[in-house]
Amino acid sequence: MSSSPHPASSAFVSPSVNAFTSQLLAPAHTCVDDVARQSVRDHLLSAVPSLVDELPAGDQVVITLPVLRQTLLGPDGTLRVDEPFTWKPAFVRRSLGLAAIESCLQHRHGTPAEAVGAVADEAVATWVRTGWRTFHWEPWYGGLTVGARSVVLAEAATWATALWSGVDWNQFASLPTTGGPDDQWICTAARTVRLKGRSELRVGITAPACCRAGGHGGGGSEDTAPGPSMALLSVSGGIPSEDWQTELGFLALVASLRSPSRPVPARVAGLWPDAGAQRMIEVDAGILGAAADRVIAAVSELAAARRNSVA
Amino acid sequence: MPEEWQPLAGADLLERLRVTGRPRPALDPTMSRRLHDRLDEALESCIPTELGPAPVVVTKDRLTQVLTCEAHHVASQFGERRPSQAIACGALIDSLFRQLVVTGHIDDAMADGLAALTLDDHQRALVEWINQLPAPQRSELAMEVERQAAGLVARWPALSPEWLPRTQEPIKASLAGGRVLLSARIDLAVGRPAVDHASVGIVELKSGKRRAEHRADLHFYSLIEALRSPAPPFMVATYYSRTGELDVEPVSEDLLVAAARRTVAGAEALLRLATGAEAHRTPNPLCGWCDALPTCGPGQERTGTSIPQDESGGDELAGEVELSDGDEEWQ
Repeated sequence: MSSSPHPASSAFVSPSVNAFTSQLLAPAHTCVDDVARQSVRDHLLSAVPSLVDELPAGDQVVITLPVLRQTLLGPDGTLRVDEPFTWKPAFVRRSLGLAAIESCLQHRHGTPAEAVGAVADEAVATWVRTGWRTFHWEPWYGGLTVGARSVVLAEAATWATALWSGVDWNQFASLPTTGGPDDQWICTAARTVRLKGRSELRVGITAPACCRAGGHGGGGSEDTAPGPSMALLSVSGGIPSEDWQTELGFLALVASLRSPSRPVPARVAGLWPDAGAQRMIEVDAGILGAAADRVIAAVSELAAARRNSVA
Repeated sequence: MPEEWQPLAGADLLERLRVTGRPRPALDPTMSRRLHDRLDEALESCIPTELGPAPVVVTKDRLTQVLTCEAHHVASQFGERRPSQAIACGALIDSLFRQLVVTGHIDDAMADGLAALTLDDHQRALVEWINQLPAPQRSELAMEVERQAAGLVARWPALSPEWLPRTQEPIKASLAGGRVLLSARIDLAVGRPAVDHASVGIVELKSGKRRAEHRADLHFYSLIEALRSPAPPFMVATYYSRTGELDVEPVSEDLLVAAARRTVAGAEALLRLATGAEAHRTPNPLCGWCDALPTCGPGQERTGTSIPQDESGGDELAGEVELSDGDEEWQ
């Protein structure tokens, strides 16, 4: 596996994409120390349990970025729709699209559109041969006819192409981490409250001067060159909401709560390809605090909606 | 005796899409800003004070409907759209075109198209309707779908992955402080983001007959693309799978300004209607198929009847009275 992305096909990059990527990979400007991180954690632990203790036993509240957005819509946006889960192309496009991008970064394919079919076929073949499901959708996809498969591939190719075109991959010194497991944190309470953060890219960046003790270099991936600072990139549909800073801060919050031994992300970037929008935040204690307040408000809203629906 | 007209195919079709005869617009990030500012200014001045918090969503179909007749637009917002042969054919051909772009082949057109539609929750009613069609009508639909699909396979060239082809790409632009959202879904976009010149081309597929408003639809797409990107598309095109006709139009600033004016006019009406204002009635050639006809005096005066025509007539297969091509943006 090559350690350098440098996809030959990204030789021509628009000025705005170039500038966005430079900003994403620039040395961090801010850092959040362990005291501030612990303070936000304590704030959540003191506020959240009382909000959910009246929920039925066994109930749990899961806060993700989409849920956080829905709670802004008020009670109508917070009620659960108890439909049984069925696979849909929209549920496959991110995982297949990210795998296609990874394949391109490893020089196996030139573009996501070329990669999606091969990646999906390989995944199904592996599942048939070993029973191992890398993505979970392999049996479903494997059972589809040609016409239905083409929709899945088209959705993933279009999604991945937006990300592929939205970043200047030549600027990465080494492979970023694409996808990976969600960041998760469970709040200790009578009813489980789980925060889940999902980023499309994670990349190590140079720590700010105040934290640069060990001479860690930047530009490496989280796995290959763990630096003291990290940047996240999130891809969303639609247009940025008015509250986009807090939403990006939520991803930093969950990543920072997940493990005290991992660095608090120094920067979170957001891409909204539908709207051609790019946004970025430098993470500090204020951003984490605002995100925690938003989580508390969302848990409160969800718990109230569920209590009302039971009543 | 003149030679019989032949649709473009293969490399010729591709060349027609790539070379419009005009230089591609230079990258000008200030143009996007200027358009934004002009639209913001125009829209903010007509936002009703009683408008709710949700943005008014402007799509190509809503724009066309509301500019044709506000009452028709209002009537179209209620109830599910009645499936028809034209809508079914359009949806199936859209899916098959997507399949052709992504996989390079179509095997069994009707089966492939239906399988694709089955995965789309928004097409559930249409799929049910197709599956329940009496044999002669289903056979008629299948024949037309297979004919158009065969034309696509024969004429459409393979698109290089290097051009980053995207199918059903959603594009959006938020205006007037988020009160108005322009939204579209492009059948096919090709080209990388602009480096020094516009490099994106937009293709819309139509399974019915040519209609004047198809160009306006494409201009609307150009406007959104220009608002969300540092450059507008260099061309917009409509490909008619029924005949193989291809309309290609280079994009200029004049075109974008005209599209912006039309969008403001339509958005102004949609904003007013969103507050519950009374819809203006404008008699037009579509009155005969409008759901509002039974209660619309001007419409009845124009058509001489109060009974809307049945949309499921065979003529629609040819797109004669295509009220909507079935690709209203998914919300």
